[in-house]
Amino acid sequence: MVRLDSVGLRYGDGPEILRDVSLHLEPGSFCFLTGPSGAGKTSLMRLLFLALKPTRGLINIFDNDVTDVSRRELPLLRRRIGVVFQEFRLLDHLTTFDNVALPLRIAGQRENDYRADVMDLLSWVGLEDQAHAYPPVLSGGEKQRAAIARAVISKPELLLADEPTGNVDPLLAKRLLHLFMELNRQGTTVFLATHDLKLVAQSKASVFHLEKGLLRAA
Amino acid sequence: MTSMKSIRRGHIIPPEAAPLKALTVTMTVMCYLACLAIGALILINRAVDSWTSGLSREVTVQVRILQDVDVEKELSNAKLLLEGTQGIQGVDVLDRSAGAKLLEPWIGSSNLDELPIPRLIRVTIDDKAPPDFVKLETALKQKVRGASLDTHRRWEAELTRMASALSTLSYAILALICMSTIAMVIFATRTVLDANRQVVDVLHLVGAKDGYIARQIDSRFLKTGLMAGLLGVALGVLTFFLLGLTGTAGAGGFADASRGLLFAPPTIAAWSYGALLSVPIIATLICLLTSRLALIRMLRSVL
Repeated sequence: MVRLDSVGLRYGDGPEILRDVSLHLEPGSFCFLTGPSGAGKTSLMRLLFLALKPTRGLINIFDNDVTDVSRRELPLLRRRIGVVFQEFRLLDHLTTFDNVALPLRIAGQRENDYRADVMDLLSWVGLEDQAHAYPPVLSGGEKQRAAIARAVISKPELLLADEPTGNVDPLLAKRLLHLFMELNRQGTTVFLATHDLKLVAQSKASVFHLEKGLLRAA
Repeated sequence: MTSMKSIRRGHIIPPEAAPLKALTVTMTVMCYLACLAIGALILINRAVDSWTSGLSREVTVQVRILQDVDVEKELSNAKLLLEGTQGIQGVDVLDRSAGAKLLEPWIGSSNLDELPIPRLIRVTIDDKAPPDFVKLETALKQKVRGASLDTHRRWEAELTRMASALSTLSYAILALICMSTIAMVIFATRTVLDANRQVVDVLHLVGAKDGYIARQIDSRFLKTGLMAGLLGVALGVLTFFLLGLTGTAGAGGFADASRGLLFAPPTIAAWSYGALLSVPIIATLICLLTSRLALIRMLRSVL
């Protein structure tokens, strides 16, 4: 499903952020990415959700070499990937409902067709009463849950989450982890970047550790 | 479960993030200037048509006063010759006072009796089948002493040259207005995109196509172009209307020209109104196409 071979990344003329990173995610796998702050976890996630192109090496996602993917094909690939951003990236001018429904709306679905699904998911993440609310009035944890709901609403084949439990209490973190595991059971490949080792310990998933731009299996 | 019926689907790109008020104002001014240029173009073409059609329907035969020559006899000869020429519909021998009247603005009315003022014959020609002027002039010179033929061609050529220069100038002004408008729309598009960079990034990352994002933005440019075009035309028509009220009818100048533009007979006025109403249509198209092309180009520069 996802394969990285000797991938290197640098921003401009700066030092290499990622060095010779090789990674293979099998379909239906569940993996954690750990590492200290500044290790390059977010950069690696950005490469995986196609927001960056590597300066060297090969990235293959869904049998597509990302360096050969055309501008026209890129959105269709991204629709198969759900992303939870570290900084949430909710749209402040849209309600929680509209934020969560955004991937479906962009894919051309009608509101009548997705309304019940969105409400069910909002209910599951505990945001049913905040459906009308706008992100600026949500707490950090609520924004986190709304961002997760947006990432999973379209049942993506690959879910990438960058610190998805960074702003929630341990109880909710555990609940969200169960949501990710449930999605994984339904066939979604899950790749979570976190430095919460307690969360990692709650799962038997495989772990990759990134430090100083180098990736190794933990 | 919370009722969702009360939730209104929000605009994906927030309308208030980058207001297009400045673009609306500047485009209104551009559309107003375009209306004035179009009005000027119509008036120039109409005036030249009217002058040249008047000139091309008439020619003048001038018979100079020569010593020991009976001018009345020569006028009579000329009249006979002209009446017998094909393509001439009317011959009107003007009396001496008519020639004197033409000279009055330059030399005054006193002492005109002592001057040998040439006599004039106004000849109305069939503009669809005019006579051969070269042959006519030769025949007049041979049979009428002191006669010469003035076909007004020199004036007609001067008028055509002047009208052509003014028309070119008007078209150049219209082209400059179009280019400035395109530049303004590109600048405004960049501003809107910069103001919504975060939103556009998220839309891209959740799988939106460039065309989808562009459609969310360029509908606002469509409204801006249409509104600016209609406001510009309204101001332009108001200007011509007010100019039309400034002078008395038949006095010529801007006032008469403006009245002619707006209150001409329906068949002629339809052209004026049609040309003026093309402004909002062209403004909307310029706004829509420019913003769409600029957006797609700018979005392609983002991964």
